[in-house]
This record gives sequence, C-alpha cells and structure tokens, in this order.
Amino acid sequence: MMQILRWSAGRVMSALITLLGVSVLIFVAIRLMPGSYEDIILGPLASAEERQLLAEAYGLDQPIFVQYFAWIGQVLTGELGTSYVTQSSVSGEMLERIPVTATLTIMAMAVTLLAGVPLGIWTGVRSGAKQGGAVGRVVSSIGISVPEFVLGSIVIFVFSQFSLGLKVGGFASIGTGFWPTFQALLLPALVLSVFCVAATARTTRDAVMGVLVEPHITAAVARGETAGHIVRHHVLRNAGIPILTLLGTITAYLLGGAVIIETLFNLPGLGSFMVTGLGRRDFAVVQATVLFAAAVFVVLSLVLDLITSALDPRVAVTGKAGS
Amino acid sequence: MLINQRTRSRAAAGAAIALSLACVLTSCAAPGSAPGGTEQTEAAPGFLAVADEALTGTGALTVQLDYDTSEADGLDPQTAQTDTSWMIMGLVYETLVTTDENFEIQPKLATSWEQPDDTTYVFTIDTTATFSNGRALTVDDVVGSLERQVASMSVWSGQMGPVESIEATGDDQVTVKLGSPYAPFLAALANTPAAILPMEEVNDGSVDLTTTMLGTGPYLVADHRQDESWTFTANPDWHGGDNLAVQTLELQIVDQESTRQAALREGSTGMAKFVNIDSLSQLGGNEGLQIVKQTQSGLYYVLVNSQKPDSPLNDQDVRFAINTAIDRQAIADIVFAGETTPTGITPSNLPGACRVDELPSEQAAIEDARATIEETGAGDVELDLIVDTSNPAMAQIAQLVQQQLAEIGVTVRIEQVDTAVYSERVFSAQPGDFDLSISWFEGYSDPSMVTKWWNPEQAFFNVGFTGVHEDLNALIAEGASETDPDARAEVLTELCASADEYAEMVPLVHRPSIIGFDTAAVSPTIQSNEGYGNILRNIADYRIAGE
Repeated sequence: MMQILRWSAGRVMSALITLLGVSVLIFVAIRLMPGSYEDIILGPLASAEERQLLAEAYGLDQPIFVQYFAWIGQVLTGELGTSYVTQSSVSGEMLERIPVTATLTIMAMAVTLLAGVPLGIWTGVRSGAKQGGAVGRVVSSIGISVPEFVLGSIVIFVFSQFSLGLKVGGFASIGTGFWPTFQALLLPALVLSVFCVAATARTTRDAVMGVLVEPHITAAVARGETAGHIVRHHVLRNAGIPILTLLGTITAYLLGGAVIIETLFNLPGLGSFMVTGLGRRDFAVVQATVLFAAAVFVVLSLVLDLITSALDPRVAVTGKAGS
Repeated sequence: MLINQRTRSRAAAGAAIALSLACVLTSCAAPGSAPGGTEQTEAAPGFLAVADEALTGTGALTVQLDYDTSEADGLDPQTAQTDTSWMIMGLVYETLVTTDENFEIQPKLATSWEQPDDTTYVFTIDTTATFSNGRALTVDDVVGSLERQVASMSVWSGQMGPVESIEATGDDQVTVKLGSPYAPFLAALANTPAAILPMEEVNDGSVDLTTTMLGTGPYLVADHRQDESWTFTANPDWHGGDNLAVQTLELQIVDQESTRQAALREGSTGMAKFVNIDSLSQLGGNEGLQIVKQTQSGLYYVLVNSQKPDSPLNDQDVRFAINTAIDRQAIADIVFAGETTPTGITPSNLPGACRVDELPSEQAAIEDARATIEETGAGDVELDLIVDTSNPAMAQIAQLVQQQLAEIGVTVRIEQVDTAVYSERVFSAQPGDFDLSISWFEGYSDPSMVTKWWNPEQAFFNVGFTGVHEDLNALIAEGASETDPDARAEVLTELCASADEYAEMVPLVHRPSIIGFDTAAVSPTIQSNEGYGNILRNIADYRIAGE
C-alpha cells in the first residue's frame, strides 16, 4: 500500500514538473518567434516611440525572467493575463470557449470508443479469418493516412453542396440548446475522430490478438466457455490496459486536432482562439491556451495512470503491466 | 515591340503551365475561367446589383467576412487602418461626404458645400442628424472631429492635406481652409477615419472611443466578440430614414474561404466576401446564389528593395529591368483569370488616371531587360521574394513573377511567412530584410491619395526599402495640388512614368473583391467600383428577401 501511495505521489510530482516545464517552454518559444505584436497591431506606420509605449504597457520591455515570474505568479492565482488584442481577461475568454472544445472533444472521444474498440475487438477476434484482417487493415490504413484538413474540406464541400441535413458553415452556440449545438458539432467531431477510431481499432486488435494466444485463453476454450464469455471475461480485461493507456494519447491528439478542426469549421473554441492569438503574437492568449491544454493532458494522464495502477497493482510496484 | 509581345506571350504560356501544375497542389485552380474574365452584366449603370424596391419586409442578414478589426486603438475610427475596419465602423459612424459608383463625391452629413476659392470649403451640416444616444449633431462635433483627425498623426491624417483652420461659421456651417489647393480633400473626408464623432461626450470623458462606438450612422453595436462576430441593430433615430430593411446585421468572421463558400451554399449566411478569384467559378453554378466581382481601385504591387546594402537592386537599371519583365496583363489573365486589369500607380479605374500601356516599362523590350541583367551580373544573385500567407492571391502572383523574372535570368526564391514576420521583415526592419515582396494598397477615390505612398517622407512605412527622390516627390505634390483636370492628368502621367522608372514599388493589377449573396435571403445594392473596400457601402438600400 505504501508503495502505491509513494508511486502515486511521484506521478503527481512528475505532472507538476511537466507543467512547469511546459510553462517555461511556451513562454520562451513564443518570444523567440520572429514577428511581434507591435508589427501586427500598430501597423507599418507606427513610430519607434509608439512601439516602445506599447511594449512598456504590457511589460514586454522587461527582462524575460521578470516577465515569466510575473506571469506565472498570476497563473498561480488563477489569472491568466490580459489579451493584447481585446484588452480583456484571457481566463474569461477561455471560459467562453472551453465548452465548445470540450463538447467537440468529448463527442469525438465517444465516437472513438463506440466505434474503435468494438471494431478492434471484432477484427482481433477474427484476425485469423480473411474478412476480419482485411477490414481491420483497410479501415485503419484509411483512417490513419487521411489528414484531417483534407477530410474536413471534403466533408464541408459535400455537405454544403448537396444539402445532406447537417450544416457546416454556421456554428450554433452552446446557449442555443442541445440539439442545434449537437448538429453543429457532429460533423467536426466525426472528422476529428477518424484517426482516433483507426488508431484505437488497431491497438485494440493487437491487444486482443496478444491475449488470444495466452495459455489461459486456451484453458478457457478447453473448459468449454463460450466465445462471448471468453471475450468479456478474459480478453477485454487483459487487453484493457493498453487501450486505457492509448486513451491518454488520444486525448492529446484530440486537443491538438481540435485546433485544425475548429479553424476549418469556424468553431469558436480554444483551438481557434490559440491560432488567432498565435497569428497576432498575443502572448497572453497563446501561453494560457497551451498551458491549459497541457494541464488537461497531464491531469488526464495522471488519472489514467492511477486507474491503471488500481486495475493492475503491479504497475505501481514494478512499473510494468502484467498480461 | 512585336517581338517583345511575342516573347511575353511565350513567357506567359510557360508561366501558366507552371502555375497550373502548382495549382494542382493548392487551391488556385479556376477551371473554365478563360483569360478575359467571365461575362458580368451590370444590373444598372455602375451597379452589380440593385435592391428590389418591391420587397418591403424587414429582418436579419448575416454577412461573413474574412477578418476582423484589430487596431491597437480598439474601435476608434480615426485610427482605423484596414478596409474591414473602415467598413465595420462605417456602419455606426458617418462622414461629411461619401463617394458614389463613379467615385464622385456625394453629400452625407454635409448636405451641401461650396468652394469660394481653391483653398476654402464651406460645409452645410445636417443638424437634424442625431447620435445614437439621442443628442443632436452640432457644428462643434464636426469641428472637433476634423481637428482631432488632423492632429492625430494617424494613417489618415496625412490624407487630409494642408488643413490650416477648421471653424464653425454658423449654426449649421463649418469652414475649412487649406494652406494650398489639395484636390483629394473631399475624397479624404469620404472615408471612415474622417468620421464625425460625438465630441461633447469624448471631451467630457463619458465615451471612450477605443471601447465604444457612438455615431450618427444607421446601426448600433449590440454585441462584438473579437475575431468571431459583430451584431448590429438598426438605429431607430437614424436621420437617413425609417426604410432600413436590414434591422439586424450579423457579421461573422470566418477565416477559411472554403467555409465561407459552404455557408453561402447551404444558406447559413446571406452574403459573404471572398478573396480568391476562383470563388466566382466555384460558386457560380449554385442555384439561388449570385456571385459578383466588385472592381476595387485598390491594387497589388511588387516591393523592390533598393535600400538593402550590396544588393543588385540598389541599381535603378536592374530594378527597371525587373519592372520590364513583369507582365501585368499575364498576372491579370493567369492569376486572376482575366477578372482584373493592370494598373499604374494611379488606379486605372479612377478619373484622370495614367494609361498603363504608356508606362516606360511597358514600352521597353524584354531583350533589353535581359541584357541589363547580364551586364550587371544581377542574374548571379538569387533574390528572395517574401509573401504574406494571409492572402492566397499574393502567393499566386509571386509564382508568376518568379517565372517572369526567370525569363531575364533573375532567379527568385519565394518565401511565405505569416503576417507578423512579414510586417517585421518588410516594414519594421531598417533596411528591409527582403529583396522582393508582394503587397497591396487600397486605391481610394482620388488618384493622388494612393500616390502619396510613393513618397517615403509622407508614407514612412517604406523608408526601409525605397529611396527619397525629390523629383518624384515634387510630382506627387503637384498631382495633389493641381486642380485643373487636364493639367492634372499631364502631371499624373509624368508621375506614373517617374515611379515606373524608379521601380521600387511596382503596381501590378487591381485587387478585385468577390461578393456572393443568397437571393432568397437578400436583395442588395452593390456598386461595380469601390475605392475603400467597403462592400456594405449601400447597406441602407438593401432589401430583405423571403419571409
């Protein structure tokens, strides 16, 4: 028990260090990028004095470590800074956009789980059969190889050109009710989830195939257990850990993919907020959105680690999952 | 000259093939668009569309645009720098005068004006107009607003000319005296930065123009989410009348051209603006949609950096050779599918503009340009051509310019960067950190407004890449101060030739705007020509279609 607690404390500490590292990295990286806020906002006619005044107004004339500690101090109090463009609180702007990205990501994750896992199990169980193997390969190859912006562009064209029932050119905000929002986000979520469905199906298939050759499966077959019983009680239980681990990675992928999908489908979420902020070198916006996305990923990974250790205590003791 | 044209034709054909191949991988293909452009008939002389007066309904209209306002000074119209900002702020604010479909000045808040001499303008103000807080417009608002603009040192203050005094000379009369004649004065007053502000509220601090828009115009701001949307509602007290059919106007900011196209196709928006000329053909076949091309006086131009140390572009002969090799007509035909026309530094669709075919670079032989490059050894140096990714047309122009310059032995390497990097390297760096670049200007409604940017001492932004030429500057000043149309046309012709020979900012073609609208949603009035990028100029005349 003490070992598990110590392991858990270590994982929490590791998560905090990761977040600290991300905060330093993004803070420095965005300042190393060529092009500045003054160039974008003040325009070509701005004088050196005007640029200096603007830099002073946002503390950008201070040494970088002074700027960093001022910012991280704000972050620790829950304030993520002020947008250079809108002059408003970044936290407030993010709170308005988080529901969009969260709904999009959750819908994409739901599609991933509902389609990817069953498909992976089916193709894994039928891996010996021609049908299962071929279907698995085709689906995963297509899903993994088609970039989201290509698929998204095709979907946008097809659905807008042929009136297939779902709109792609106008977003219904969360406040307009569940159904309009669901309709507005369904296509983006489906496009976003394609890669994840393919990746999950492939991982699940490999895990299932790995479990199927274990001696205890042979023993279960010898005991006369039905195929369904074997899958539910022996295969899924043992194949679950790699799938669970994959979910952490998929979450990160979905958050990253949301940037492209939100821009493509014109969704007012965190991803498009970050892209616009980056284009305008709105440091406060970029820092806050990247740190938030990193925090979500780190926290989710931590939760998944803890769940994994609960399912298989050997993870906490040896650092390795059993089969 | 014949040989020159044949050689150019070959170059154009080669460039077309190269560009077509490139377009397979990008989004610039315009299948079916033949050089010469698509047939576009005007609904009435000077208008691409005229609102159907028989439609009497009122309602809401959604318009999708490509970008939002983003000035450091927030919503202050006097410091607004981009055409989108002018258009959006122009829904709330009004100017003394405006321009019509022929670029002629028409009354607005000034119901009339007189010009007793070349330097005096006496405006009669419509004092029945009210700000949206209910307060009546006064001559003090007019005087204060114009004085504020002249003193602002903003982009637009230079366009106001040599204003000496602005005085209220009656309860409804304002007199402006200029230090010397200035032909573009009324045209400068016609754009949003010369808007009349609620100076009483500004002076007593009850209105902060950077965060609040309070004007005499047809609309009030109901909501604004930066880079996402604007919602305007009709100003019930607007002096322009109670016939405003678009009672609620939502402007949605949609970055992706393909998403705006989709929204228009499926009816999510009633109207949309497009940058890519291919939208004409891509949307043209859709039932119920009308797609029109509005000719802007604005123009694309090539920046040729003469200030970078040890660059072959320091040599005027090399720059002129490059100018000679650039085939404006080929750019119009290939990049813009014939939907635009070449221009000199005076926008060719403005009254009094110089003729493009008389420019020295158009008269010169491409063989001479090639010989110049060989003699100077400029062809041994690879020039970088930096392009901002925000406008796909500029990358397409760059590809064609690259091909055209290869014809005279100049090797060009295209570099695409985002707007921040572009601005830093082109406008902020001293000297500019580039060899060649592509950009664009608005063309406004008087030829001497845009020519001002060829004088770095007035423009400032081009100090890093252009030299100061006293003769050119004198012609720019003379063009602005000459009020006799014939004499002015002569000066402008000379000015065009001089700028063409210095070849530091080389005008290419006009920058068209593509506007699409759903006929089931709206019946708009759209001018064929526009000088300030304002596609919503006639919004008060729009009629709502359908229920």
